[in-house]
Amino acid sequence: MTASPPSLKIRMKVNGDSYESEIDPRMNLADYLREELALTATHVGCEHGVCGICNVLVDGRTVRSCLMLAAQADGREIRTVEGLAEGGKLHPIQEAFIEEHGLQCGFCTGGFMMAICEMLERNPSPSEEEIKDVVGGQICRCTGYNSILRAVNSAVSKMSASRP
Amino acid sequence: MAIEIPKSLAELPTTEPRFVGRGMRRVEDAALLTGRVQFIDDLVLPRMLHAAILRSPLAHGRITNVDTSRAEALDGVVAVVTGEDARRWSYPAQSSPDGWGVHCIAGDKVHFVGEPVAAVAASNRRVAEDALELIEVEYDALEPVADPFEAMKSDSPRVLDAQESNVMMDRTFTWGDVDGAFSQAPHVFREKFRWNRLGANPTETFGCISQWDPMALDLTIHGSIQSPGMFGLGRSASFGLPSNKVNIISQPHGGSFGGKGGTRGCDISCLLSRKAAGRPVKWIEDRGEYLLSGGSQAWDRHYDVSLAVDANGIVTGLKVILVDDLGATGEGYGAISAAKPLAAFTGPYTIPVAQYDLKLVATNKLPCGPYRGMGPPPHFFVLEQMMDIAARTLGEDPAEFRRKNFIPADQFPYTIPSGNEYDSGNYDEVLNQVLALADYEALRADQVRARAEGRLVGIGVASAIEPGVFDWNAYAIVGMPGTGVPEGATVSIDVLGMATVRVGFSLEGQGQYTLVSQLVADYFGYEPEAVRVVQLDTQSAPPSFGPGGSRLGVAITGAVLGACVRIREKMSRVVAVLMQTEPENIELMDGKFLLKGAPGAEMTVAEVAGTMLARSDLLPPDIDPRPEATHVWTAPGRTPADEEGRAKSYLTAAHAVHIVQVEIDRDTGMVEIQRYCLADDCGTRLNPDTVEGQTEGSVVQGIGAALLEEYVYDADAQPLCTSFMDYLLPTVFDAPKIEMVAVVTPSPFTPLGAKGCGEGAMHTTPAAVMCAINDALAPLGTAAREVPASPNRIWKLLDDARGGAHSSSA
Repeated sequence: MTASPPSLKIRMKVNGDSYESEIDPRMNLADYLREELALTATHVGCEHGVCGICNVLVDGRTVRSCLMLAAQADGREIRTVEGLAEGGKLHPIQEAFIEEHGLQCGFCTGGFMMAICEMLERNPSPSEEEIKDVVGGQICRCTGYNSILRAVNSAVSKMSASRP
Repeated sequence: MAIEIPKSLAELPTTEPRFVGRGMRRVEDAALLTGRVQFIDDLVLPRMLHAAILRSPLAHGRITNVDTSRAEALDGVVAVVTGEDARRWSYPAQSSPDGWGVHCIAGDKVHFVGEPVAAVAASNRRVAEDALELIEVEYDALEPVADPFEAMKSDSPRVLDAQESNVMMDRTFTWGDVDGAFSQAPHVFREKFRWNRLGANPTETFGCISQWDPMALDLTIHGSIQSPGMFGLGRSASFGLPSNKVNIISQPHGGSFGGKGGTRGCDISCLLSRKAAGRPVKWIEDRGEYLLSGGSQAWDRHYDVSLAVDANGIVTGLKVILVDDLGATGEGYGAISAAKPLAAFTGPYTIPVAQYDLKLVATNKLPCGPYRGMGPPPHFFVLEQMMDIAARTLGEDPAEFRRKNFIPADQFPYTIPSGNEYDSGNYDEVLNQVLALADYEALRADQVRARAEGRLVGIGVASAIEPGVFDWNAYAIVGMPGTGVPEGATVSIDVLGMATVRVGFSLEGQGQYTLVSQLVADYFGYEPEAVRVVQLDTQSAPPSFGPGGSRLGVAITGAVLGACVRIREKMSRVVAVLMQTEPENIELMDGKFLLKGAPGAEMTVAEVAGTMLARSDLLPPDIDPRPEATHVWTAPGRTPADEEGRAKSYLTAAHAVHIVQVEIDRDTGMVEIQRYCLADDCGTRLNPDTVEGQTEGSVVQGIGAALLEEYVYDADAQPLCTSFMDYLLPTVFDAPKIEMVAVVTPSPFTPLGAKGCGEGAMHTTPAAVMCAINDALAPLGTAAREVPASPNRIWKLLDDARGGAHSSSA
């Protein structure tokens, strides 16, 4: 039996770099990033949109990359964990997670960092409730969330201190 | 020569430890946070294929035909395997109890929903899953059994054809004159409890890449594997290979909590690789597969518990009848979870005699696996409910009732009736600390006011033991052989004085690589960044079990310090030769070898290492010139189990008391945790930040157990929880602020006095939350005896208590 799959050409920017690919139309964005672009910092936890581990930013908004087809990201700008640290320097959110022990196994952390990144870019001084709302969109099985909340608060102070 | 491993921080060769005993930035974090750690699904090997597994939709049925011809013809499909291949090329899984394993792919019969019936290896996962849809399997449905009490009846459908009944084990263990204690007791309390199935759910599921070498006839397996050495032995048994023909390379992995499982999927990927002429085959379990048929489920228990109490409120006897529904087979080692309570059967109390009537039963559900705590958490849930029932009936405060039954601080080491020895503790002090932290009297005063307003506010006080540093002998009663679990480490210092430590376990989240660098840094006067930790595969690493049974922190401390001591001894001899003195005159302190009584006569560790490696010609011929040593640490003094299962098993006994305040919503049955306080004592805290992180995470897992998490099956053993929409994990909204305080009673038996603490609060939290719920419900004359205490269950209790519609229609 032959199954010559249809293919689709897509273009997108990921962390500032331009990519053009021929893909299987049914490929989701998480698989595209991981398999086609070898950007494996985006992890996959449940593949049904609940856990939030695969969060990436699409045109600045947090998206479950397991629920979005790669084709839907055609022409968009994607940001992933690989784009957080710049020039060998960790992003303040990453620094904050280290200082506050906001991670243990580290598998889910990228998803949290991307959602937190979106929140802080929109609102540099979020309320406790807003922070909980964003952190509440995702599952971590190791930390019990207390240290993640501490990390977000620390990131807020770091980022506000670094603003002119 | 015997190796003297430092028993306390003061014995380290440093003026003041700069790293051990303190929190610090974890050495593993930068790589994790930038996505540079390679998890199993990030790894791609040349010519790699991708596997997908076809699973049984029936809980019980005969397979009458499997037709794979259309799947084999699909473009991109390289290999298809069925039960026939499994029978030809592999053996039934090792199991506990023995004889309860089956082949990794079902042959004649399926035993639970999700059991593999065929599998495909193809050019990518999407094609492999397409191919599954082309496989035709015909079944004759058989009557399933979902209830263990039905399964024990002689006319029940039999789960395994090869077994004569569904009862895997039925034995009563009696430790002391239990009948006497109960017949003489003025107060005897008896109650039934139900603990429903739940499980680990690490955020990363299991995955592996297996490669069968058709020429060398050996197996190489990369995977997200918690216990690589053990896993390798299991695979060698599955495939009838000598143990040195299986090499396991464990990738860093996204948590485990005992529930990584993966043995069936791994064996299937090995079969596929063999059929695909040795191409590597990747199998990544998806979340649906994990929830349905992975290492996801544990502790499906029905308890009937009795407590004997004397006229002074002292508990004089404990009887536990446990019917443990292990699911279809013993392949997941769920039986171990029923055996482990022997390591702490009577909790922190002086209860002198006890009895355990243990029934392990097979049903047509997923075989149970391990989960954090490995069995004692449900045991302590029932023990602590019994303590509260006794205290409440006798009109005593639950905190003080526990206090007078505590093992006194001067009684350690203390041997409990089920045979284990607790190393040390100060239970009174732990209780005092948490009572002060919570301001217990004020909490009770608030509760009186809340009750007067008609609010259902409850306070739970629960206390439990965390057995640490596991040993196989704890599981002797369910057929696990052996005593002793070694852990090794190799420490090497290079020509420029930099240190590398080689270990056999991978990153899992508990921060052990940081601990290793803290230890070496303080021992040889380094900065932790100067210490590199390298993980080796099972054919290269020193003996290693890895994390599990709250053991690795203690065990790796013993291994690393032992290796450091061996290097120090070797280097002292070298320095003595160079300084023309005897080794006894050489002392290591703060990274320098000093000639005693001769200030200024010294060599740095780097200088000694450089000399050894570059100028071995200067050394006497009997000195090994490598500045390197391996030490293999094993818990001292463990004993084989006697006929009643009694052994010195777990080396350490950490202790905790938790105080929880909850409020129950009368209209919805929702439980809100308003205050969470705990005190714990896990001996010397090697890295307090890490201990705190383990504790916080474990509390929230315990809250999930008490309030949310449950794998529901229907009467036909069909699983109803196969997504995160049905199986509820705690989110930040379920996680209270956790207030904690530490008590430190060092262990006299371990390196630096540390006790196992990784599983932690899971031992105490479910009990504490349930105690609080029942304290809230007490004025209504009702009580919750089933976990999770989900809103529907609590609402039904409330409705019954007010004689509501639920009870009248029921």
